[in-house]
Amino acid sequence: MDLAERIERYRATIEKWLRGLYHGMFTHPAYEKIEKEAEDLEDAFMLACFPDAFGIPSPVSYYTAELLPHLTDEYEAWQRRMWDRESLIERKGQQYHF
Amino acid sequence: MAEHVFFGGKGGVGKTTVASAYALKCANAGLDTLVVSTDPAHSTGDVFDQEFGDEPRSVEGIENLRAMEIDPEHEVQEHLQETKRALGEQLSPAMASGIDLQIEMAHRTPGAYEAALLDRFVDVMREADCDRVVFDTSPTGATLRLLALPELLGKWIDQLAHKREKSIEYFEMAAIGNQEPRRIREGDPILARLRKRKERFEFAGDALDEASFYLVCNPDELSVRETERSIETHREYGLSVDGIVINRLTPEPDADEQGRGARFLREKVETERERVEYVENEFEPPVVAAIETRVREVKGSLLTEVAETLSVDPLRTA
Repeated sequence: MDLAERIERYRATIEKWLRGLYHGMFTHPAYEKIEKEAEDLEDAFMLACFPDAFGIPSPVSYYTAELLPHLTDEYEAWQRRMWDRESLIERKGQQYHF
Repeated sequence: MAEHVFFGGKGGVGKTTVASAYALKCANAGLDTLVVSTDPAHSTGDVFDQEFGDEPRSVEGIENLRAMEIDPEHEVQEHLQETKRALGEQLSPAMASGIDLQIEMAHRTPGAYEAALLDRFVDVMREADCDRVVFDTSPTGATLRLLALPELLGKWIDQLAHKREKSIEYFEMAAIGNQEPRRIREGDPILARLRKRKERFEFAGDALDEASFYLVCNPDELSVRETERSIETHREYGLSVDGIVINRLTPEPDADEQGRGARFLREKVETERERVEYVENEFEPPVVAAIETRVREVKGSLLTEVAETLSVDPLRTA
């Protein structure tokens, strides 16, 4: 193994680690945050569509019911999130990874 | 597009009779007419002595006239079945149970009947291939609320679509890099559905703006007051009332009659005349007909007679 090759490998490893570090420190939390935000928005959407799931009568649930066949995954994820959620702080705090 | 005419008013004032008479008048004037009953307690069939169902059927013995009676229960069931069928296509029966319950529940909410009725209304307005559609509506409250729905629902659907768009946008943003986003806007079935709904409500709103409304009332205090309120509510919803039909006026006895019955009638006619004058002077929409009460049920040739008292020219467009 000659010197040039070893330097090459060394640099590749460093680059990989740096990218990983960068992703872990900056980009991943950002993605996570955006995704959480998207989930929150989706929760608001689901609640607006199906408030009767929580006992609030809705004049539009007759119409939104026809969305349900296309929303099965979302619906189940939503219910899971709703049952899991303890407080807004708890959810918003998850991004900090203490 | 067909022209739509609505007849409304308090329960039991004779909306069906007046609406049928008007429809008959239109048909006789050569217009291809459809009369639609939306009152769950249907009586169009009784007026024409025939049975009508959920699909338009021509009225026997009368040219150019068809009739139908909307059954909201039937509509709700159909919608339920359709939604369940769509669910079955999307996933296996074992997985669908929680969703299934939610769908069932949505079809049992208090608004389901109204929503179903509105749906059918829009269908009829859209698909009716005739010159005139005459709606014999259910008593005031229910119909007014129904007519206010398109605008309200349109706004609501807008909000839903906006929320959905926003969340998809974020999901797409979160997937920058090589990941597959969890939701994509392109071909999203939810947005497509919402848009379709929105478009229907917009159509209904526009059609209602162009439709004509007539209120039927009786010459008694309760009915007159209710009509007054009804005109007010119509105005609040941005719909103008085109005319008032006063039904069931007491016939005046001949001058030489002096019996107890005659005296009763004379007095009754007197008070009714006051109320009719009140309606004529105080209400903005003109009185388009004053129909005397008939001894027998208004059917057949009597209906033609009643139709003639309606001073609405069916060929005049609103």
